[in-house]
Amino acid sequence: MNYPFWDVGVGYGVLMAIIAVVHVFVSHFAIGGGLYLVVAERAARRTDDTARLDFIQRLSKFFVLVSVVFGALTGVGIWFIIGLLNPAATEALIHNFVWGWATEWCFFVIEILAALLYFYGWSRMSGRNHMIIGWIYFGAAWISLVIINGIVTFMLTPGEWIATGNFWDGFFNPTYWSSLVLRTGICIMLAGLYALLVASRYTASDFKARTVRYNALWAVVGLAVVVPSVFWYFSDIPADMMAAARAAMNIPFAALDLMYWLTGIVAALVIIFGLLIPRAYHTAIGVAVMALGLTWFGSYEWFREALRKPYVITGYMYANAIEIPNVPTYQAEGLLAHITYKTDDPGADLFRRACRTCHTMTGYNALKPVFDGTDEEFIAGMVMGTGATRGNMPPWVGTEAEARLIAAHIYQQVDKRPLAEITGLHGVELGRKVYDLRCGSCHQFGGYNDKTASLAGLTAEDYHGILDMADDLGEEMPAFTGTQEERDALVQFLQTITEGGVQ
Amino acid sequence: MNNLPDYQFLPAPLWLITVLHILTLTLHLAAMNFLLGGLIIVLFGKFTDRWNHPVVQQFIKLFPAAMAATVTLGVAPLLFVQLVYPVQTYSAAIVTAWFFLAIVAAVIVAYYFLYASSFARKGSSRYPAFMTVSLLLLLYVSFTYSNVFSIAERPALAAQLYAGNQSGFQLNPNVGEWIWRWLHMVLGAVTVAGFFVGLIGRKHEEAFNTGKTFFLWGMVGAMMVGLVYLLTLADILKPIMRSPAIWWMTVSIILSLGSLHFFFKKRFLPASLMLFVSLLGMVVLRHYVRLIQLQDHFDPAAWVIKPQWGVFIMFLVCFVLALGLVWYMLKLFFRKPDLMTVNIGGRKDPERSGLSEPVDR
Repeated sequence: MNYPFWDVGVGYGVLMAIIAVVHVFVSHFAIGGGLYLVVAERAARRTDDTARLDFIQRLSKFFVLVSVVFGALTGVGIWFIIGLLNPAATEALIHNFVWGWATEWCFFVIEILAALLYFYGWSRMSGRNHMIIGWIYFGAAWISLVIINGIVTFMLTPGEWIATGNFWDGFFNPTYWSSLVLRTGICIMLAGLYALLVASRYTASDFKARTVRYNALWAVVGLAVVVPSVFWYFSDIPADMMAAARAAMNIPFAALDLMYWLTGIVAALVIIFGLLIPRAYHTAIGVAVMALGLTWFGSYEWFREALRKPYVITGYMYANAIEIPNVPTYQAEGLLAHITYKTDDPGADLFRRACRTCHTMTGYNALKPVFDGTDEEFIAGMVMGTGATRGNMPPWVGTEAEARLIAAHIYQQVDKRPLAEITGLHGVELGRKVYDLRCGSCHQFGGYNDKTASLAGLTAEDYHGILDMADDLGEEMPAFTGTQEERDALVQFLQTITEGGVQ
Repeated sequence: MNNLPDYQFLPAPLWLITVLHILTLTLHLAAMNFLLGGLIIVLFGKFTDRWNHPVVQQFIKLFPAAMAATVTLGVAPLLFVQLVYPVQTYSAAIVTAWFFLAIVAAVIVAYYFLYASSFARKGSSRYPAFMTVSLLLLLYVSFTYSNVFSIAERPALAAQLYAGNQSGFQLNPNVGEWIWRWLHMVLGAVTVAGFFVGLIGRKHEEAFNTGKTFFLWGMVGAMMVGLVYLLTLADILKPIMRSPAIWWMTVSIILSLGSLHFFFKKRFLPASLMLFVSLLGMVVLRHYVRLIQLQDHFDPAAWVIKPQWGVFIMFLVCFVLALGLVWYMLKLFFRKPDLMTVNIGGRKDPERSGLSEPVDR
């Protein structure tokens, strides 16, 4: 509440994803790649394999250009963007973990210097000293992960910290160790996949065959670490959190399923083309495997982030930066009294504070299509009932008057024509649309808070009766305020419901 | 709910965080000055056959490392300033969000152009273009930081700008509040880089003289612009004059002049020590100016202190370890290659002393 709000046209999730996804790819590659380089260099030097040394040196140039420049700066970029998008959460993290970050910075300094010396050292250092620098690089890079992993996992599972506020309780939280092993596996896997991509560009030869096979082994070892640790990681997540997410969020769980499929596909491609017929490891396969691997990683990161909803720090701060310790104060005094940076439009100020973190009006997670053809009363009801909707939204913590200000702000931007006129629908189809807009946010057929069993087989009079008393059915359920045509159409649609669901 | 931990605290005494902030910011500025000022001097200084000149070549090779040092050393002070002044720094950053965020993109592009220069062949016709792009982008970064922090130190202005526009597409419109501060930083960078050009080019008369010229006139310019900047702080000029800031400023000016004196005599050790302490003094001065500018809005001494000594000691141990490893790695790197041990597989083989040059394919 102490900060201004960046009301940017792009969704916050998109902005965060653009920078964060790129950075996590590069940063994990930077760790695994560091290990790959020094281990491969050692093997090449032991066997006098100059061709492989040449290959490793080529990799090291790309590696420095990517990790030292792009990796380091997108890391700074994440820090910049979280401060812009959620300064309160960033402040909470920095105040609790500043010495963790400062410690990581020490290893960041070592890592950057070691990467530069490793690259420039090819021409002037002994093999032994060059490899010492390589090992120092890998050690520093991995310890950076050891530290940052504590802060990233804290946001999902703060564990005992919620009760004690102790640094170590937050740092060594329930998902710390499984996440560390999982991410270490990802680092190794990405290093192997990237090295495979580079090797795929060589023409078929004995050198290509042994290099591809060697790199494929890295990917396989990485996968062998990743697969069990993914299950270990998910088992460390509190069961109630997982169950709540599964009930309320379909898409992230679809991403999880995609992740399992991708694991199998990547493993199959690497084993077949990397280990069994390495000469045939074509660039197209290299690109495809790399892309699939990155999609796998992106799906995992997206799922992990989604799992945290409605919080940015589980149990402590909602995604819209509402601090849970302050909720009673906001409920009693309203949000507006605590918003420091204001404009002359309190409805817009409240909208930004309560909704805008995850929703735009017409772009990302757009609200206009959700509220086109509805009315101000319904929107106010939905604002006050956000805690009951699917998608794990934070609950409304302001006053009713403030919810109505938000509703007025939203309503002035939506299409005010009747739904039938907007959609051109009538009868059952209009009813289905009315259900989607006015009921479907909280009651999904065959899904979240399903009411099929209690709705199936009732008469038209029963349905009208339910709609008459809708706002009495639950604290967070709004009254039915649609037009008579919409009400009749909705009843027609409800009459199509059977025990087996909707047609 | 009220039993949940609070995050409104500092995990160490304020003085300790302030000392760390000032020290790391000084190191960051030293690296930044080398880079930004160095680019200006390499592009505009007097060098015969500029792109083949050995000192210019040395700078071109050093720029990527200087950029790495600038970025790496810039992380810590930004962390500490956000720790103590979160509302001021985040608010200013949000009001200027697009410009602030663009710093990252600008630095990435500038960094790659510096690498492109360092990888280019000696005398390459691409040097001027590559380095001009890098310079312009780094000037943008320095301008944005000056502008953003000029807002951070004026909370009323941040609130006023936000009330008018929430898109993050604003800058401080009051030119007088940032232009002198920015010019002072740029001229300061030229001054320090002039010193480095003279130091690195001490055996090349022309390079030394070029460094000397930029060191001298950069310092004159920085002092004049700094004086104008001070005068623009009319409302708080008296409190500054009554605070320790004035002593730090006096000492810094004296040390700068002393550094110039020893530099002219080519006594680089006392010159560099004086210059560094002078830079440190300027950072301390800047700290006092910020405190005085914010005095009606925020007092950092009001923070609740809940020290995390155990974690701090871990940081301290790792910091010492980092210094040790930096020293050790540099020692390994700069050790003269011994052809009898530079070999593959531990066998003595002068013919296979690693690889001659980083491969550029």
